[in-house]
Amino acid sequence: MLLALAFLLIADEPAPPEPQSETRFALSVTDEGAWAAGLRVPGPETGNLLLIQPSFSWRDGQRWRFSTSLAGVVDTQSETHAQLRVRETYLGFTTGDLDFSAGKRILRWGTGYAFTATGVLDPPLSAIDPTDRLNLREGREMVTAEWVQGRHALTAAWASAGLLQEHQPGMRETVAFRYNTLLAGFDTSLIVAHDRGRTTFTGANFTRVFGEAVEVHGEFAHGDTSAVLLGGKYTMRSGFGTIFEFYAPGSGRRYAFLRAAKSRLRELPGWKEWDVAASLVANLGDRSRILVLDVTRRMGNHLSFYGHAQAPSGKKWQSEYGMIPYAALVSAGFRVQL
Amino acid sequence: MSKTILRFLTALSMACPALAAPDAQALLRQSDAVRNGWPSYAVRVKITNFEAGKSDEQDLFEVYQKGTEKTYVEFLSPRDKGRHLLMLGDDMWIYLPDTSRPIRITPLERLSGNASNGDVARTNYAIDYDAVYLRSETAGGAECHVLELTARRKGATYRRILYWLRATDARPVKAEFFLASGKYIKSATFDEYQEVGGRMLLRRFTIYDQIRKNSHSVMEYSGFAPRNLPDRIFHQGRSDRF
Repeated sequence: MLLALAFLLIADEPAPPEPQSETRFALSVTDEGAWAAGLRVPGPETGNLLLIQPSFSWRDGQRWRFSTSLAGVVDTQSETHAQLRVRETYLGFTTGDLDFSAGKRILRWGTGYAFTATGVLDPPLSAIDPTDRLNLREGREMVTAEWVQGRHALTAAWASAGLLQEHQPGMRETVAFRYNTLLAGFDTSLIVAHDRGRTTFTGANFTRVFGEAVEVHGEFAHGDTSAVLLGGKYTMRSGFGTIFEFYAPGSGRRYAFLRAAKSRLRELPGWKEWDVAASLVANLGDRSRILVLDVTRRMGNHLSFYGHAQAPSGKKWQSEYGMIPYAALVSAGFRVQL
Repeated sequence: MSKTILRFLTALSMACPALAAPDAQALLRQSDAVRNGWPSYAVRVKITNFEAGKSDEQDLFEVYQKGTEKTYVEFLSPRDKGRHLLMLGDDMWIYLPDTSRPIRITPLERLSGNASNGDVARTNYAIDYDAVYLRSETAGGAECHVLELTARRKGATYRRILYWLRATDARPVKAEFFLASGKYIKSATFDEYQEVGGRMLLRRFTIYDQIRKNSHSVMEYSGFAPRNLPDRIFHQGRSDRF
């Protein structure tokens, strides 16, 4: 009884405020060599990519935030080109239940793994590289306001077509709203967006876990065309996981994605530091496809080696993946992270 | 004669509550207090993995917990920087720096590693498990209550746990963890405690892999501190993660 009373008294103590200021810093250096086999167009068969990627975040209690993520890229094929990419740089401010941010930032509203129908502000997603393995995707210049209360979050965003950043073809000014909530285990979002000069877009997406091993997600969108994405993930007790997605982006196009992966092959002696994944992306309309293999070997806390291979197939020059001008692309590299 | 003995034993157990089996759920709640010092707090967790007795990697986490249902974990080790893990009751998301979006993960994905995501983020056993008092015995040099914990919700990391609590103060001494299949996968010893702000809290415990016997992980807690954590940092749809 006394112990319980003491625990209750302890539990009622007011908590002190957050520390005034906190920072996070990370630096990643990646060097990757690539070889293309069966090249069908004139060009270099080999290339090298050096990436230097610092990121820094600062937070003042729960009020002010600043975050930046840069990428220095040195690309050597027949010639060497260097460029600095700003992936994100934004300032955030919180008052009450409202978060504001302004700057270039990556915002992802889609729930799909390889495809998205509702990611109106998302950086372009590639089914061949859904995890952005080199961390090169860039955000958009935008201003956001987000209200979070209980289970509900409402976000309003205005994204420019390119003020400071290089204008990308097809990019338009966007105004978007999202309502997100967790209802009976469904993580659900409703999205309305308008790109200047285009039809207003409406969409919804969800994810839900069933039992111990199954996750299901979906996206539905209606704008200039209607799009549907349905997908799921199954996890085995061994840690082996598979992801499947079916995507119909409209205009009669249909895609399928299948990924099988295992992080840390703990069951095999000496293979604990290995991650392996194999993905297949197929255009169901023209029957072209691409197989992607990834292998990573971690070496302690800061160093990892990796290999990546792609093998497209399909009617040459007449199908989506048959348009890729090589028979196979193999790349290998290492990454140092601090 | 036997009736007389039975009447005597019944009367004795009523007159002397100390002889009755202790309240297992109350013991479990009491033991949770040494792993969760305040209703809302932050703690830094360092995990060192050992293979054949040699340290082979380290992971560092900042854990924010509010109540028994909300946990937010920031990954701080170099290769995982920018990752975040959010647990809301039975629901769990992982945020990857390269995708900037929450990825829903299944309960089975919590089990990876010697020390799993669940071991880091799920420390309120009284919420996740039903406890039954089994027996009392000596473990780690102390007289202990032995409890059998059975998962009451899918968010629980393990299906069954055998849990040894020191009789004098319900401090965890050791544990054995089982999967739904009945497989004995891990054991743990609670090695060291520390006094923080006038209360005794866990400082170090070791998890032994019972499948790969030469593998174990040491979890060390530091910087335990009460924090006034706003609800919004535990919302799965919030864009800002740091």
